[in-house]
Amino acid sequence: MLSELLQGTDIGGFLLIQDSCTYCGRDLLKSFIEAALNREEVVHVLGFDVSEEELKDGLKSSVFQGLHFHNAFADPLGWTDNSHFTVHQFSSSGLAELLKQTAQSKPATLVIDSLSWILRHVTPTAVCHTLQQLKKGGAVKTIIGLLHEDMHSRGIVGSVCRLATSFISVAPGTKADEGLAKITRRSKSGKVMQDEQIFSIRKDLTVTVLSKPTNFGRKQSNTEEQVDPTANLTFNLRLTDSEREAKEKLALPFAFSTEKKTALLHSGPGSGKILYEPDANDDYDQEDPDDDLDV
Amino acid sequence: MFTELNSILNASPESLTPGEFILLSDRQSDASFLIHHFLSFYLKARCKVCFVALVQSFSHYNAVSQRLGISLTQAKEKGQLTFLEGLKESLSVLIPQEENAENQAMSFLRDPAAGLRSLYEFIQSSVVESNGSGEQWGPPVLLMDDVSVLLSLGVHVGAVLDFSHYCRATVCSQLQGNVVMLVRRDGEAEEDDEGSEQLMRGLTHQSCLTLHVQGLPTGYCRDIHGQVELCWKKRQSDGQHTPKKVFQFKVHDKGLSFFARGTSSAVL
Repeated sequence: MLSELLQGTDIGGFLLIQDSCTYCGRDLLKSFIEAALNREEVVHVLGFDVSEEELKDGLKSSVFQGLHFHNAFADPLGWTDNSHFTVHQFSSSGLAELLKQTAQSKPATLVIDSLSWILRHVTPTAVCHTLQQLKKGGAVKTIIGLLHEDMHSRGIVGSVCRLATSFISVAPGTKADEGLAKITRRSKSGKVMQDEQIFSIRKDLTVTVLSKPTNFGRKQSNTEEQVDPTANLTFNLRLTDSEREAKEKLALPFAFSTEKKTALLHSGPGSGKILYEPDANDDYDQEDPDDDLDV
Repeated sequence: MFTELNSILNASPESLTPGEFILLSDRQSDASFLIHHFLSFYLKARCKVCFVALVQSFSHYNAVSQRLGISLTQAKEKGQLTFLEGLKESLSVLIPQEENAENQAMSFLRDPAAGLRSLYEFIQSSVVESNGSGEQWGPPVLLMDDVSVLLSLGVHVGAVLDFSHYCRATVCSQLQGNVVMLVRRDGEAEEDDEGSEQLMRGLTHQSCLTLHVQGLPTGYCRDIHGQVELCWKKRQSDGQHTPKKVFQFKVHDKGLSFFARGTSSAVL
């Protein structure tokens, strides 16, 4: 499913990549940017978290002409008077103006790095409103956003995830170079598909999907061998054939067959008999009290 | 400067990696030895250092640095070191006197909700100022000891993260210098809060190298003072991805020794 998302079959959608302190999702974001540029799409990047050099590091220089980087890293709050894009310009009107500045023939892919920066300064409702309007408007074809899930409360993360048509939550994998991606895709019909894949990203930003994560418990029980308890002993626990026959013939003392039952319950001749004559006070019940025993 | 730490970090005063944001943190331990290390390291590497010291006095850092072979007084006179002594400056803000021109850097003490813009402007002016007739120094370095004290002074976590973002944008990205910040974490890990844990997470996202110091989980030991966990976020220049390393250490009078877990000379 990760490869399908990379190939951009999700047109008109909002893809959200969620990461945390333990695993940085920026490399995966760069892979998506590279894949979009390779398809000759126009990509606009709102860079808050990292500088232009750091974002372009690793991308092939031949595809840079389709990439428009809007520098919101140097001065996102307008503290120096040298600001290209501030966080308060993140609104549908501000973004529409920004996109108009670069003449474009086809709808663009908007990459936001990162939504966490914006959510710290703009109310979540305004951010969600803007994202929803961008999705509906015509200027932007696809939105790809990076969100640091450990920087916000679960409510805010949940609200933004609800808007996404697909989201990928990345975590460190078992080996050093690998990551674990939990992918959820919502199709237009409302069907939700989920998948978990292990992937690794090479230096040239190509993503290799390795395999599904193995479930450790199940694996162990399958490979467990049948252990022979009679092997490797200093005494003999094995049976010869005649011994095995005799063992199977043996009647166990408390396994009752019908003959044994009647012999026990009805005592034979010569054994003591019990004669009972009820008293006036006794409550003599004619029924056999052992009738319901299933012996 | 501790030479063993240099070899672990693959750094030396002659060859610096530019544009790095190094985050130091500690929990139930004291990572200030790392601050002294980086201070003497960058001064030896002939960088222009701006040190924002909010928790100790100048004489404290001077005394420790002298043991490591650096004189802070000399560095200050030569113009290599700009030292903002937070403890002293805060008095001039809280008790304004006519003769002293108020240094705007600590003005956030009056109004913590307004943010750290004035502190940032002070740092920017000290790293950007051109060298007139003095010697030519290397790339600028910003050291902060420590950032979590700003939270106790009433500044919001978001404001501190904005401030560190601007420092990174100016010092690391624009001027190709380095930034080193120390964060002190609370004793117990708090969940989902507005405190030092959220600050730590935010700064970890911004940094490329984290050194986390903590005491031994089994308690105090005379021969092993604690353990350091190093986390690199970016790939190393040779393409290898070495995400984490853990070492135990012991601090001596004039040095520091690192060893792999379980190989202390007291144990073997």
